[in-house]
Amino acid sequence: MTNHCCGPGYASPAEAMRAPREKLLYTIAIYTGTGIQKPDYLCTIDVDPESSTYSQVISRLQMPGIGDELHHMGWNACSSCHGDASMERKYLIVPGVRSTNLHIVDCGTDPRNPTLFKVIDGAEIRTRTNLSAPHTVHCLGSDIIVSMLGDAQGNAPGGYLQLSKEFEIVGRWENSMGSIKFGYDFWYQPRHNVMVSSEWAAPNTFMPGFDLEEVGHLKYGREIHFWDFEKKEPRQTFYLGEDGLLPLEVRFHHDPDSSHGFVGAALSANIIHWWKDAAGDWQWEKIVDVDNEPHPEWPIPIPGVISVILLSMDDRYLYLCNWLHGDIRQYDISDPHNAKLTGQVWMGGLLGRAPEVNGVKVTGGPQMIQLSLDGKRLYVTTSLFSTWDNQFYPEIRTNGGCMLMVNCDTENGGMAIDPLFVVDFGKEPNGPSRCHETRYPGGDCTSDIWV
Amino acid sequence: MTSFTITLANQGGAAFDVDRRKPLLQSLREQGVDLPYGCKYGGCITCAAKIISGKVNQKAQRALNNRQINNGYIILCVARPMSDCTLEVGVESHDKLYRNPFLDPLAAHELKADIATPLEAKK
Repeated sequence: MTNHCCGPGYASPAEAMRAPREKLLYTIAIYTGTGIQKPDYLCTIDVDPESSTYSQVISRLQMPGIGDELHHMGWNACSSCHGDASMERKYLIVPGVRSTNLHIVDCGTDPRNPTLFKVIDGAEIRTRTNLSAPHTVHCLGSDIIVSMLGDAQGNAPGGYLQLSKEFEIVGRWENSMGSIKFGYDFWYQPRHNVMVSSEWAAPNTFMPGFDLEEVGHLKYGREIHFWDFEKKEPRQTFYLGEDGLLPLEVRFHHDPDSSHGFVGAALSANIIHWWKDAAGDWQWEKIVDVDNEPHPEWPIPIPGVISVILLSMDDRYLYLCNWLHGDIRQYDISDPHNAKLTGQVWMGGLLGRAPEVNGVKVTGGPQMIQLSLDGKRLYVTTSLFSTWDNQFYPEIRTNGGCMLMVNCDTENGGMAIDPLFVVDFGKEPNGPSRCHETRYPGGDCTSDIWV
Repeated sequence: MTSFTITLANQGGAAFDVDRRKPLLQSLREQGVDLPYGCKYGGCITCAAKIISGKVNQKAQRALNNRQINNGYIILCVARPMSDCTLEVGVESHDKLYRNPFLDPLAAHELKADIATPLEAKK
């Protein structure tokens, strides 16, 4: 059934690509770990080039308390609910990784001035579900699930928190975690009855910062998991080994019939591709390998640290960020077995290739990205996680993060940093803050899943 | 004795009587000290402070590696005082808390307690 009358989102990825251009962005900004004793907040950013406040933060919604570490977020509804007229893409679920609080933000009533609708207290989540450290939020057609990276004491593997569409705690979503050691991101592809989950580490391991030595002690992930989505239990695990250290962002093709998907292994700086073969078995391979780069004064070469990957809505381009090197890359993955590098830009990073962009000193490196539905504008932020920022980019405490925009050539490939767009979070009213994940009111390239 | 005196060296030497049974973060916040914190269960380092003198019980913390502990860091959300203490608090005390692991690797005895190899020469 395709129709335009009913629920949120779009009937298909192709229809999503024809949607009106985004005019607002929602981006989180943090003070946790910065020394500024203010709550983290959700920014609304004007991205309408016709507007007098283009490229500016136009409103700020503070969370009720300090120390949440807002990080990732998700919509209450997406294109998976397109056929349900009772659903509306109105609320952002904005978790605090450190506090476990879930903030439900009403973005629908006044999109330019979101308001806090409800807070699900982290202490209640920990008590009722023995889970902590919320990360990825996806709606499942009606209910919402959130990957929780730890148990109530911050030990791995955690599990999945299920919320009703009224934002009540249902309980644990999964029937079993099987032998999964760690959690992080997940994406589901219902026509193949599959969910894929990836692995960061236990909250007690990653929250204090990154001890590289702990990777060798197996305290960071190197496996991905294929779930029986209907049975809510893991069915198959791929051990990625040295090729797959810290597998983070999981992206399936947007095409709901496709079995192809990708994960970025942050520390190995590789892209891992999986697909279902003709016999119906899942296979995986490495399709991108970013070499470590020597540093003149450091004993250990610097890995790229691929902190995010993203697919364009037409599944033609894969974008990745090397947070420590400082580059964003665009690959043509029309043939998903054979990724072709088609674009690259530099901003910040430890290699010193682009310390200043558009008149702003870039502290940090390209980190989280969000792509417009038509694939032409990529919005980039520079902060990863407060403690990790403090280790690798200590100047971010005084300089803050920034957001830049990259114009993407969807016909021939290629990328260029837009010279007119920059949001400098070093100049925020309460002092330098750090920006992380971004969502669009009308849906975006990491929110929408088709059932 | 049910209370100890906590002196905050980098807040003008302000002193507070605290209950020895309560975590320091809770006691100090209840008396109006504005301190950073995050998880409140000893796993995330946001509330780390540096102990200049005195002794605490912080068995419940999981966030610090042995180098950080040797540099005097304590996790206020779970640490309970065992004596009068002088602390430096907030990010001003974090000069040795963070390191770039590619520039400055940890030795085997400097890892977190569950994976560290003890130094032979030490007790």
